[in-house]
Amino acid sequence: MNQDGLQYHIKMKQGDVGRYVLLPGDPGRVPVIASFFDEAWEVAHNREHRTFTGTLGGVPVSVTSTGIGGPSTAIAVEELARIGADTFIRVGTSGLMQPDRMTSGDLVVVTGAVRDEGTASHYMPLAFPAVANLDVVTCLRDACQALDVGYHVGFSHSKDSFYAEMEPERMPLADELQKRWKAWVMGGVLCSEMEAAALYVLCSVLGKRAGGLMVALKDTEPEIEVVCKTAVEGVRRLIALDATSA
Amino acid sequence: MAKATFNSEQMHHIACRRGDVGRYVFLPGDPGRVPMIAALLDDAQEIAYNREYRTYTGTLLGEKVSVMSTGMGCPSTAIGVEELALIGADTFIRVGTSGAMQPFMEQGDLIVTWGAIRDEFTSQQYLPLAFPAVPDMDVTLALRQAARERGVRHHVGITQSKDSFYGQHEPERMPVANQLKDRWAAWVQGGALSSEMEASTLFVVSSFLRCRAGGLMIYGGTDRDLSNLLETAVYGLKLLIRQDKEHNR
Repeated sequence: MNQDGLQYHIKMKQGDVGRYVLLPGDPGRVPVIASFFDEAWEVAHNREHRTFTGTLGGVPVSVTSTGIGGPSTAIAVEELARIGADTFIRVGTSGLMQPDRMTSGDLVVVTGAVRDEGTASHYMPLAFPAVANLDVVTCLRDACQALDVGYHVGFSHSKDSFYAEMEPERMPLADELQKRWKAWVMGGVLCSEMEAAALYVLCSVLGKRAGGLMVALKDTEPEIEVVCKTAVEGVRRLIALDATSA
Repeated sequence: MAKATFNSEQMHHIACRRGDVGRYVFLPGDPGRVPMIAALLDDAQEIAYNREYRTYTGTLLGEKVSVMSTGMGCPSTAIGVEELALIGADTFIRVGTSGAMQPFMEQGDLIVTWGAIRDEFTSQQYLPLAFPAVPDMDVTLALRQAARERGVRHHVGITQSKDSFYGQHEPERMPVANQLKDRWAAWVQGGALSSEMEASTLFVVSSFLRCRAGGLMIYGGTDRDLSNLLETAVYGLKLLIRQDKEHNR
């Protein structure tokens, strides 16, 4: 914590965020997600971490950008957890990995993630599963059904290098990258992004809840509105579920 | 799924052929528990018993359901699941006893397995260690619903799947004692609930085969614990069968 009582990187303190926090990668998408809240206002913007807080049915809810990758995601989640957040929903774009059974623009409810990245291994050995909270992903799936959007339930591939996935052939480890990619596809992985694995493992260690909803894209422009709206609907459902089990 | 050429043949290890088993299969470790589960099905009969693989088939709600023991450990579990999938099974529910890893757990608690630690090597011969050992969501939700409706104390979470029983129970006498203890401490801090020996390979192999898997474990070993576990698992499968019919899955 800083001398001014603010968390070091996200520049916020207890009371600035709700227990529910949506996590896009891109600071530019924070206002887009916040636009689906009942009301929202900007709380902080430092480095890649931009935060809006608002309400859903009277309950405080926030959205904080993580920046790209596991390292900055872990920093944001650690600091958000210290100021009272306990439920994290990753929202964003991803690469589509099963073209035979998916259409560009389909959503993916991410139950588990391939730990093809380094941050989570600073918390737990690689054998530990990057798995979402069951209630969080159930509410996200319910939201997909309620809004009648095309969706799949399954795994995401979380990587550390964007260009190693997009252009493996120009990398020194081209053969290894291509072999591993083929293995993930054969294993049934649905989409590829860069933050879910670190988020899920970290939340297991912290005893917090996590889930993820991605839009899977292939050769089309990012379409972000539907995934943001559906994720916010998922949070509404989770708030209702928590109210009944409290 | 590939290798349909095996269709008319008897599977090498489980000694069953297509038609012998249902799409739904309970997987205990112990062959001795197979008849106990079969007794909760309708019209169950013994089909085969070769090595550690003992198989009964019966019905639930008119659907063909089987029970097959895997033996202990991931190597024999992977063989059993591969051969069951080749003859038409597509939904696997692991049932068994396990150790408890968290202080809040009490004897008789059920553990709905949602994720497994791949502290074993079999699944690594299928997919790199980074791949998540996570079960099917519908199977898992049905098992949780069964525990809720039957009013059994339960937890949802991660199990550790290990290759060495005695490495867990007597780590101090092992050459890699420090490593075993360090890793155990990490799993506990990560919130792992239970420790057993088959779930991670079941989940990873099922992902690769595009089959569904889930797991229900019990902390405890009394006859009452065991019957509570098995009755809840069978009730959970009934819920799943109803949902599958409803959604034409």
